[in-house]
Amino acid sequence: MHKVAPITKLALTVFVTIWAILLQSLPALALLITCQIIILMLARVGIVIYKGIASLFIFAAVLAGIQYFISNDMILSAVTASKMVAMTLVFFILLTTTRMQDLSTALVVQCRIPYEYAFMFTAALRFIPDFLAETKAIQEAQACRGYSPQGNLIRRFLSYMAIIKPLVLKAVTRSETMALSLELRGFGSRKLRSFGNKITLNTRDYALLISMATFTSYLIIH
Amino acid sequence: MLELQNVDFAYKNQSPVIHDISLTVGPGEFLAIVGRNGSGKTTLTRLIMSLIKPTKGNILFQGSIIPNCTPAKMARHVGYVFQNPDRQIFHDTVAEEASYGPRQLGYTPEQTATFVNEALAATGLSQLADAYPLSLSKGEKQRLTIASALAMQPKMLILDEPTSGQDARQRDQLLKLLIKLNQQGTTILLVTHDMDLLSACAQRAIVMAKGHKVFDGPVSELFQDTLQLNNWGLIEPAALKISRELAAFGLKQTASINELSHDLVNMLRRNNYA
Repeated sequence: MHKVAPITKLALTVFVTIWAILLQSLPALALLITCQIIILMLARVGIVIYKGIASLFIFAAVLAGIQYFISNDMILSAVTASKMVAMTLVFFILLTTTRMQDLSTALVVQCRIPYEYAFMFTAALRFIPDFLAETKAIQEAQACRGYSPQGNLIRRFLSYMAIIKPLVLKAVTRSETMALSLELRGFGSRKLRSFGNKITLNTRDYALLISMATFTSYLIIH
Repeated sequence: MLELQNVDFAYKNQSPVIHDISLTVGPGEFLAIVGRNGSGKTTLTRLIMSLIKPTKGNILFQGSIIPNCTPAKMARHVGYVFQNPDRQIFHDTVAEEASYGPRQLGYTPEQTATFVNEALAATGLSQLADAYPLSLSKGEKQRLTIASALAMQPKMLILDEPTSGQDARQRDQLLKLLIKLNQQGTTILLVTHDMDLLSACAQRAIVMAKGHKVFDGPVSELFQDTLQLNNWGLIEPAALKISRELAAFGLKQTASINELSHDLVNMLRRNNYA
C-alpha cells in the first residue's frame, strides 16, 4: 500500500466513503471493514494504529448504544456504527501509508488545489501528534501542582481549564511563529513552485482506479 | 529525606533508560544532576515526582514508600519547576497563578493567601502580584513557577534546566534566589547543563551517563579529572579554565567565579596593579 500513488489513495478514500453510504447490509459493511483491516495489516502499521482502531470500535459501540436507546432498532444502530467505522478506517489507511509531503504534492499537482490550502491541510494533520504531546506535558506540569480531576462532570470540566488554557495559548503562539517562519522563507511569494518528490501514477494505480470506479458504478446501478 | 533504592526504569517494550540508581538526599542539601542530553537526568526527576513508576526498586520519601503515589500527592512534599513556564501558566494575575497549587491541595483561603504572599516575597514578585503573567519576562515567569511551587509549602524543590533561555541578569537573579531558598532550609535538586551555575551554588553533584549514576560527590571533586568530565559530555566551568591558565602566576584553581574574581583582585593588588 505504501507504493500506491497518493492520488490513488485519495480516490480510495472517496470511493470507500461512497461505498459506506451506499451499502445498507450489515454483512457487506462488515466485509468492507474487514478488507480495510487486512490492508492495514499488509501495510505493517504500528501498534499505535491498532490501539486507535480499538478506540474507534469502542466509540462506534457507544454511538450504536445511544442510537439503539433512541430508535430501539438494533439493525439500524449496527449499520450506522459500521458505516462510521468503515468511513474512518480508510483515513487510517491514507494517513499511515502516505507521507505528508507526497499527499500535499498530489493535492496541488494532480487535484489542482492551491498550494496554500493543501499546505493548511497537511500542517493541520502534522499538528495532531504535537498537540497530543503538548497536552500530556501540560497535564504533567499541572499534576505537579496538585491537579487531579475529581467530582462531578461540571467540576471535572472546570478543573480541565488548567490544561485547556495553556494549551490554547501555546497553540496560538506556535501558529504565529510558524506563520512568521513560513513568510520569512518565501511562502506564497510565487504562483509556481517546484516539488522534490515524484508522485506519478503507474499501471497498478490505473488498474486500481478503474476497478474502484467500476465497483462504484455497479453499486449505484444496483 | 529522599531515598532511591536500586531503581530501574524502562519505557514499555524498550531497553532500560535508568539502571540501578541508588541515592539519598538529605534535608537542606543543594545538589545538582548533570549529564549530556538523553543521559536520564529528567527521567530520574520524573520518577521522583511519580510521573512515571520505576520498573524495579523503591523510592522512599521521609523513610516510607508513599502508597499509590500520584504526582498530585507528591506535590504536597516536592515542588517541581518545569523548564518551560508557559506550560503551566493560565491565570489572569500572578497572585492567582501562585494560589492554584495551595487551593488544589485543600488549604483554606487564609492559609493560601499567607503562603502566596510569602512565596511572592521570597521570589521578589510581590510588586507584580496583580500583573498579567503572560506579560512577564522569561526570567519573571520562571520565578513565578518557583513561587507557585513554594506556595505549596514543599520540603524539596526540583528545578529542571531553570536557566535555559534566560539572559545573564535573569540567570544571576535566579542563582541568588536559589541560594537564598536553600539557606532558608529548602532542599534543592537542580537538573542542569550549566556548569557555571552548578559550581556557583550546588554542594553536591550527581553525574548521569547512559542511565547510570557515574559520579556522586562534592562539586569540587567533580572538576578534578578533565578527561573524565569530557567523556561524560560535560565541560569545565569558565572560572576553572581561567584559574588553570593563570596558575603560573600563583593563582589557585577554583571553579567558583566569585572566588576567582576575589583571588584575581588580590593578585593584582599584590603586584601593585590596583
